[in-house]
Amino acid sequence: MATDPRELAAPTTPDPDLVAVLTELFADYRATRATPTAVVDLDRGLWRRLEGLGLTRLTGSESAGGSGGGWVDAAALLGLAAAAAAPVPLAEHDVLGGWLLEAAGLPNDGGLRTVCRPDPSGVALNVTWARDASSIVALWEDRDEWRVADVAIDRVGIEERRNLAGEPCDTVEFDLDDLEGGTVVAHAIGEQFHLRGALARSAQVVGAMERVVEVVLEHVRAREQFGRPIGRFQAVQHLVSDIACETALARAATDAAVARAAASDWRDPGMLFAVGVAKSCVGHAASVVVRGSHQALGAIGTTLEHELHTLTRPILARRSEYGSLQDWDETLTALASSAGHDRLWTLITTGRATPRRSDA
Amino acid sequence: MSARLVPPGARELPALTELRLEVRAFLAEQVAAGAFVPHVDTWLTRWDRDFTRELGRRGWLGMVIPTEYGGQGRTYLERFVVTEELLVVGAPVAAHWIAERQIGPSLLRYGTEEQKEAFLPGISRGEVVFGIGMSEPDSGSDLASVRTRAERVDGGWRLTGTKVWTSGAHEADAFFALARSAPIDPAHRHDGLSQFIVDLRAPGVTIRPIISMGGDHHFNEVHLDGVLIPDDRVLGEIGDGWSQVTSELAHERSGPERVLSTFQLLAAAAQAMDDGRLPTDPGLGRHVARLAALHHMSFAVSTALENHEDADTAAAVVKVLGTTGEGDIADYVDTLTATGWALDEELDTLLHAAILQRPGFTLRGGTNEILRGVIARGLGMR
Repeated sequence: MATDPRELAAPTTPDPDLVAVLTELFADYRATRATPTAVVDLDRGLWRRLEGLGLTRLTGSESAGGSGGGWVDAAALLGLAAAAAAPVPLAEHDVLGGWLLEAAGLPNDGGLRTVCRPDPSGVALNVTWARDASSIVALWEDRDEWRVADVAIDRVGIEERRNLAGEPCDTVEFDLDDLEGGTVVAHAIGEQFHLRGALARSAQVVGAMERVVEVVLEHVRAREQFGRPIGRFQAVQHLVSDIACETALARAATDAAVARAAASDWRDPGMLFAVGVAKSCVGHAASVVVRGSHQALGAIGTTLEHELHTLTRPILARRSEYGSLQDWDETLTALASSAGHDRLWTLITTGRATPRRSDA
Repeated sequence: MSARLVPPGARELPALTELRLEVRAFLAEQVAAGAFVPHVDTWLTRWDRDFTRELGRRGWLGMVIPTEYGGQGRTYLERFVVTEELLVVGAPVAAHWIAERQIGPSLLRYGTEEQKEAFLPGISRGEVVFGIGMSEPDSGSDLASVRTRAERVDGGWRLTGTKVWTSGAHEADAFFALARSAPIDPAHRHDGLSQFIVDLRAPGVTIRPIISMGGDHHFNEVHLDGVLIPDDRVLGEIGDGWSQVTSELAHERSGPERVLSTFQLLAAAAQAMDDGRLPTDPGLGRHVARLAALHHMSFAVSTALENHEDADTAAAVVKVLGTTGEGDIADYVDTLTATGWALDEELDTLLHAAILQRPGFTLRGGTNEILRGVIARGLGMR
């Protein structure tokens, strides 16, 4: 009668060897990097190190020169890199750009890629790392078709701008001929791109928030006022507890979406809901974590030399990418209200409002 | 990565989903047949011994109790999905909740063979109903300060004192009472406490109602006036009461009842938005997202407990977030409704009940202030 728990629940954890390599690599990066700056540029040295370890194409198929990793490992990489505030375009180059090239059957020479969705006039706003790329992967909705074009950097116009994190976040203008010459891809690819982008950003923000919790804990244990560490004060304990709880909730939501993506290779029809849950929980957590961490750190946390802003600025920059928090909450509201009273729970447990007996 | 407060997530596999759907189908039939009216906070406020016995017949009580004691010999994960399904549908589960959740597991761990045989089969059938006697008029969060005295007498102990907030004592057969069996030692406040199995029909037991602010009777004051407890109704070891009551807290704090108490209200609000009876508002999506994340987190804790991993801090995280969230749902729906708005009676009833029950969510089973301290300790701050 007793059931083996392994037949009931499958833990989803990244490859421990990969996590060990990444932990060491980013600890070393953190120990040797320069002091924080207000503007952040691509770290080409770190990029080459990651490239040498096969990490810049972690999710690419082995036949296309990638490492064949899945989303669980990719999310761990994105999170740990974000925790180290590493200025490298892992999301853009690998899980988004590399994936689009592979989906379109286009060659990938391994040169640094970023990714964007130009509007009908061929302009894309807020393209992270555009100036640093050797070419830009454009996903373009042309009438009823989605096209993917890999456009060399010397064929686009770039207006240099920076995001809240101080990172390159440029306006890119394409020649429409280059976009029209792109390869037609399935509609599912076009629709998935937004979800993949949103989940990659969620993984990065959660990773950064987990590092914020560490930074806060280090500070409140070391900083003394009134003759004792400020972490001994109950008011501070409750503040820090709230930051840690919100981060844990965001982690649970993100891991659940990543596990669903990995188990179904993104084909699960519940992905929209799962990614929305992650984006919503991560976005609301960001408000609590950024506000609370700056409060806990006091004035020192507002200075350029302190690590905190290298985390809190990207947290806020990334939570608004691939859909604002409000957009995602509205998407979830629409899903929940159309599920209605009788199917809301089915939506929550499966991501779909229409129950299928075979898989809830 | 930072010290993780909560164990890594796990995916529910088809064998578990099958059980979930079986329970869901049964409950849908029960609702359709009018066997119960879905409500909020039903694990405190809806008492139905017939329904409880029916769950027992179907093998959905005593799930983690071994078959030799009349239970199902199943896993905490299976119990988890059954309880989730019962709570989301707002089923009347209060009659068995305490016995099923904590009395059974405590008896299994600390009970004598005779005690297990005496109580576990009845709990598994839904026929033996228990309460729990912890709080006292002067002992809430500071449980170690309980004053109920256990005095050694020939063949047993005499209990004298007052327990309060005892849910369902007026309907229950027995309760576990935490009492001081040795005078308090200020240097070791947790010593000298013991647990006793008290027959609530025994001479010397007086039960008086404590009426909640909405006029309902769920809580009681239980006076023990020299109640004789025979030696064979001592639970575990004399003097080990504190470690006995705290050892099962992760199960008590991380369960779906800390997340889903107002689910029926949220579901009714979703329906009302779809029907145009409430304005479409992104707050619904935000609450649904938090609830979905808590469902995953609570399942992750359950998986860790199944594997006998320590999850005390994680359980506190679930309870702080979950109980805050279930109360916020009540307040959220209230902020959407205007007097004179064409509310249906169902939504109105659920909303009013949820608002009146809300203060209790973040008090019972350890206040959120105490739990934030537990989390701070888990983070190494104290």
